[in-house]
Amino acid sequence: MNDSPAIALHGLRKRFGQLTAVDGVTLEIGRGEVVALLGPNGAGKSTTIDLALGLSNPDEGDARLFGGTPRQAIVAGRVGAMLQGGALLPTLTVRQSIELVAAAHRHPLPVDEAMERAKVTDIARQRVAKLSGGQMQRARFAVAVVSNPDLLILDEPTAAMDVEARHVFWESMRAFTEEGRTVVFATHYLDEADSFADRIVILNRGRLVADGTPAEVKAVVSGRVVSFALDAAPAGLHDRLATLPGVRDVERRGERISIQTADSDATLRAVLADYPAAHDVEVISRTMDDAFLALTHDAAEPALQEALR
Amino acid sequence: MRIRYLALEVLRQLKNTRNLVFTFALPVVMLLIFGSVYGSGGQVDDSTHLPWLAVTTIQMGGYGAMMSALAQAFTIVNERSLGWNRQLRITPLSGAGYLTTKVAASLAVAAMSIVLTFGVSLIVFHTPLGVGGWLMAGLGLWLGVVPFALIAILIGQFAKPEFAQPLFMVTFFGLAIFGGLWVPLSIMPDWVSNVAQIVPSYWLNRLGQMGALGSGDALAPAVVLMVWTIALGALIVWRYRRDAARA
Repeated sequence: MNDSPAIALHGLRKRFGQLTAVDGVTLEIGRGEVVALLGPNGAGKSTTIDLALGLSNPDEGDARLFGGTPRQAIVAGRVGAMLQGGALLPTLTVRQSIELVAAAHRHPLPVDEAMERAKVTDIARQRVAKLSGGQMQRARFAVAVVSNPDLLILDEPTAAMDVEARHVFWESMRAFTEEGRTVVFATHYLDEADSFADRIVILNRGRLVADGTPAEVKAVVSGRVVSFALDAAPAGLHDRLATLPGVRDVERRGERISIQTADSDATLRAVLADYPAAHDVEVISRTMDDAFLALTHDAAEPALQEALR
Repeated sequence: MRIRYLALEVLRQLKNTRNLVFTFALPVVMLLIFGSVYGSGGQVDDSTHLPWLAVTTIQMGGYGAMMSALAQAFTIVNERSLGWNRQLRITPLSGAGYLTTKVAASLAVAAMSIVLTFGVSLIVFHTPLGVGGWLMAGLGLWLGVVPFALIAILIGQFAKPEFAQPLFMVTFFGLAIFGGLWVPLSIMPDWVSNVAQIVPSYWLNRLGQMGALGSGDALAPAVVLMVWTIALGALIVWRYRRDAARA
């Protein structure tokens, strides 16, 4: 029981009428991992989270948390969550909301500590009905952490937050993950997945289409781009570059040349050896957006999926 | 079940001012009107031989208590549509624990309503009934409120938000009128008195009246309300399990 993964999903399937929202998801998340769950709308992220928490029952497959049923983990106070469509009561203050939920748990954190962690101490006495979108999310975060959970599941935690609020939120999150707790968050913001997760899981149409570190997800999909300027381009440059190691594609715009490559190190060494006059050299990873679009675009699927399994 | 959660939840319901107005004010106002118009002569009720004022007070106390319990339906519907129940499902609070807090909240509000109605009756009309009579009548009404708390939970848990309001109104008026909680059944047509025995509110009032008499006839209404409680409880558990499986 002690070594069992925080989350273990096996062959989860869930249908709503004709629609198969989750279509055979198998996923293990170890303790201490910080995992981003990405996918377009309707990819099955929220349904997967509901199944993992035992809030709804799968048609096939099963979900285990810390080796037991989701309910056992929840009763033991090991799970905290911010869910889609899970709101606080508008007539209560932030503090009262946290107190009420804390009272339902067996070994909650002191309310003040939960407020400190979620940075809601300054809005403790405000009524929930009067909170801004970002404040509301922070209050919900406080409610999620008050059970002092080992596993935190957050469904789009920074929706409705402005840039500053998102920054503050991730700062308090980081303090949380540094204590070795497991965090799974669904998000639409790819840069959040890139900067806060050590692992990214991408869902599309109810299936897992990618699973890897942010660097892996980015690199395997699109490689890197080596670009440089060359004042006087010699004849036959394009064809020569195309034969260099790792090169997939060469593009030229004015004096600037961009090479898509699977091995930027080898490509760059060869370029500099052959063309010492190359200057303003840049090596750029393709962005998470590129990777995401490629992975969730159906035509691109099978080969890329294989690469990331 | 955490005691602290139960206490906070009950307190929260007591603070719900919208409920308080209807729950507490209406039965008191009706008592004051009926009491002033008909109660001054010191009449005695034919069938129970209780002072007419006491009969009316218990009737209104029962109405207030029933209202306290039924009003929980709106709270529950509201909480559900907000997603509060989803939040609760990621706490150790069990389905049974949830039901217990809701019943307890109903009982707490009902107790206040009963005490207030009885208190006004004593202070304004000096209604002649012994301490034992008041206590037993109050206790009867209070415990008799449980099946109504369950009706509220049933409406709250399983009616869609837009359907809850009409369903509540029909249930509420049906129970208030046919149970003889607004107007005594004795002045209604015979068929109403016959219908009355179907609705639990009739037995709630009857339990209060028999309690006031200290009569062994309190047994029948107590048993009827117990049967209602068991039947409603079974229905709720059955629906709750199905609901959880489908959700």
